[in-house]
Amino acid sequence: MSQITPALRKAFRNLADIMIPGTDTMPRGSDVTLHEDVLDRIMELRPDLEEGFVRGMTAIAGMSAAEGKEHLKQNDKTAYYDIGLIAASGYYMDPRVREAIGYPGQVSNPKKPAPVPEYIANGMLKRVIDRGSIYRPTPDTD
Amino acid sequence: MASGDQNVADVLIIGGGASGGVVAKHLTDAGVRVVCLEQGDHVDPSEFAGDKPEWELVSKKRWHPNPNRRDIETDYPTDVRDSDVEPMMYCGVGGSTLLYTAMWMRFLPSDFRVKTLDGVADDWPITYEDLVPYYNILDEELGLAGLAGDPAYPPGQRMIMPPHPIGKVGMKAVKGMDQLGWHWWPGSNTIPTEPYRGRNECVRYGTCSTGCPQRAKSSFDQTHWTFAIKNGAKLITRARVKEITVNDSGLATGAVYIDRNGRERRQKANVVIMCASSIGTPRILLMSESGKFPNGLGNNSSGLLGKNLMMHPFSAVAAYSEEPLESWLGPAGHTIYSLQFYETDKSRGFVRGAKWGITPVAGPFSLRGGQDNDPIINAWDDGIHSVFDQTVGKVFEWGVIAEDLPEEHNRVTLSDELTDSDGLPAPKINYKTSENTRKLLDWHIERVIEAIEASGCTGYTVSNPVRECGWHLSGTARMGTDPERSVVNEFGVSHDVENLLVCDGSVFVTCSGLHPTATITASALRSVDNLLQNRYNQRVPL
Repeated sequence: MSQITPALRKAFRNLADIMIPGTDTMPRGSDVTLHEDVLDRIMELRPDLEEGFVRGMTAIAGMSAAEGKEHLKQNDKTAYYDIGLIAASGYYMDPRVREAIGYPGQVSNPKKPAPVPEYIANGMLKRVIDRGSIYRPTPDTD
Repeated sequence: MASGDQNVADVLIIGGGASGGVVAKHLTDAGVRVVCLEQGDHVDPSEFAGDKPEWELVSKKRWHPNPNRRDIETDYPTDVRDSDVEPMMYCGVGGSTLLYTAMWMRFLPSDFRVKTLDGVADDWPITYEDLVPYYNILDEELGLAGLAGDPAYPPGQRMIMPPHPIGKVGMKAVKGMDQLGWHWWPGSNTIPTEPYRGRNECVRYGTCSTGCPQRAKSSFDQTHWTFAIKNGAKLITRARVKEITVNDSGLATGAVYIDRNGRERRQKANVVIMCASSIGTPRILLMSESGKFPNGLGNNSSGLLGKNLMMHPFSAVAAYSEEPLESWLGPAGHTIYSLQFYETDKSRGFVRGAKWGITPVAGPFSLRGGQDNDPIINAWDDGIHSVFDQTVGKVFEWGVIAEDLPEEHNRVTLSDELTDSDGLPAPKINYKTSENTRKLLDWHIERVIEAIEASGCTGYTVSNPVRECGWHLSGTARMGTDPERSVVNEFGVSHDVENLLVCDGSVFVTCSGLHPTATITASALRSVDNLLQNRYNQRVPL
C-alpha cells in the first residue's frame, strides 16, 4: 500500500515548483499536476522510486521548499535523485511541456534513404574517397 | 556427433544471445538436434518502452544496460568493486543484442596481427581474410544497411540495403570532418531501411539501445532464434546453468541447471558450446571445477580462463549546436563514423587506436551520463529550463571506442560476496584501465574536440571515461595454437576438453577498436562450419 500521504504530496508540489519554476513560456511543476495523477503514474511505472521519495519527503517535513531541497542534496543523495527524477520525468512527459520545448517525443517517423544523399551530391564523400585507402592490409607472415 | 537417445542433445548451447542464435540456426539448418539453456526470458518487442511517453523513465531501470541497475532475477549481478568499468549486458533470448544499437562493423586486417604490426599483445591464429566468407553470410542474414566503398576497409564488402539518412546531426558532424580533411563514412547498421526477413523497416524511434518496439533492429531473437526454433531447436528459458559436467574420460557430458521453479535439472549432450559472453562463459566454466579440472573446466593447460578481459573503455563528447538538429530521430546506431586515427602511429605516445561514431541524443535525459543520471540533477542547479533549451534536439555525441590490450590481471573470477537469485556466485570483475588506454583516450578526445569546433558547434561536454560502458566484452577464453597460451583453438575447441567449444567473444585474442558482434558471430559461424565438416569424427561421451 502506498505510503504517499496528502501531506507528502503537498510538500512535493512545493518542492517541484522550486526545482522546476515557471517562466514566460514554460509551466511550473505544479501546473502539470506533478504531485497528483502524474506522481501516481510514475509510481506505477517505477515503484522502486517510492522508498526514496517517501524517505526524502518525510525528512524535509516542516522545512521550506528551498531548505528541503538543500537538505536532501547535502544529506540524502539517493532520495534527492529519486525525487528529482520523478519531478523531471513527470514534467517532460507532459504534452504541453514537450510542445513548449519543441520535442515531439520518440515517435514513428519513417523516411526512405534518398537515392543520392546530400553528402554525395555535394562532393563531400568524394573527398574522403579521393584521399585513398587508410587501412593496413594483412601482413605476409610466411 | 548424433545420438540415438532422444534425451541427449547432439549439441547443447549455453546462452541464447547473438552467438548462441547463430550457432543454433546453422546447426539446425544442417539437421543437428540442438538444445539451448538460456537463463533469461523471451522479450516481445511490445514490452519495450521506446514508443511510449515514459520511455526515458522506464529505461533508467527496466531497460538499463547495467544488470546491477536493472536488478531483475533473470539476470546475474556483477561484483565490480575492483573494476574501472562496469559490464553492460542482458540475459534473455537475443541476449545483449536486445539492448545494442546494431552498429555493424567488421574488424580490420591489422586487428588480427597486433603483435606483428605493433609489437604488442598477440596475433590471432586467423586472419581477416579467414572471416570474410562468414562476415558476408551474416551481413546478408541481418540485412546490413550501409554504403560500400569505405577506403578504411579492404574492398569487396557488399551492403544489403542503402544506409539510413544521416540527418542534420550527421551533416553537422561531417562539416567538421570535411574541413579538417579527416576520414568519415556513413554508418553501417543492421537496422533495415525496408522490411527484411520478417522484421519491419526502421521508423526512427531512436531508442535502439533500450529495445526496438518496431521489431526492426537486428536483435538475434528476431534474426536467428526465430529460424532456429522453426528448424526444431529446443530453447529452454529461465534455465540457469550451474555446471558443465564431465565424465572420467574428460569429455563434457552436458549441464546441470536450475529451472524456473528452482529445481535442479540435467541436460545431457554430445557436444557443449558456450555462448554465454566473456563474463558468463568463464563464470560457468570456473563454477565447473572438479578433480579433473581443479581450476575450472578447460583451464588445465593454460590457466588463462577468465583472464585477459577486455571491455573497450569508452569516452564521449556531447556537442551543442545553436540550430535545431532533430537529434531525437533514430536510428540510434551510428549516423557516421571515422577511422581517421584507427591505425597505430607511435608518435602519438601510444599504440593502437579507436573508432569514433556519431550518435543522436534523443530525449531530454539522454545525454551521456544520462545513465548515471547526473544531468538531471545538474540541470536544476544551472536552471532546468535554460539547460534543456540548449540541449533538447540540438545535441549529438562523438563516442570513442578505445582498443584496450589484453592483460592477465584484468579478469573474471567468482565473487565471494555476491550471488545471483539462485545463490550461485556472481562474477567478480577486476579491471584497471592501462596507461596506454588512458593516453589513447585523452589524445582522441582532444582530436574529437577539434572536430566539434570545426563543425561550428557552440559548446561541448566531455565524459572521459564513461564508467558504465562495458558493452564489448572479450578475451577470457582466448583462441590460439599453443595450449599453454590459449584456452581454445582457432575453431573455438577447448585444448583440454575436445567436445567443449567456446563461440562467444571470449575467444578474442585482442579486441580491436570496433564493435564486436560482427566478429563474434562470424567467428562462431566459422566454428560451426568446422564442427559440421568434422561431425562424423567428433569424439563424444555417450
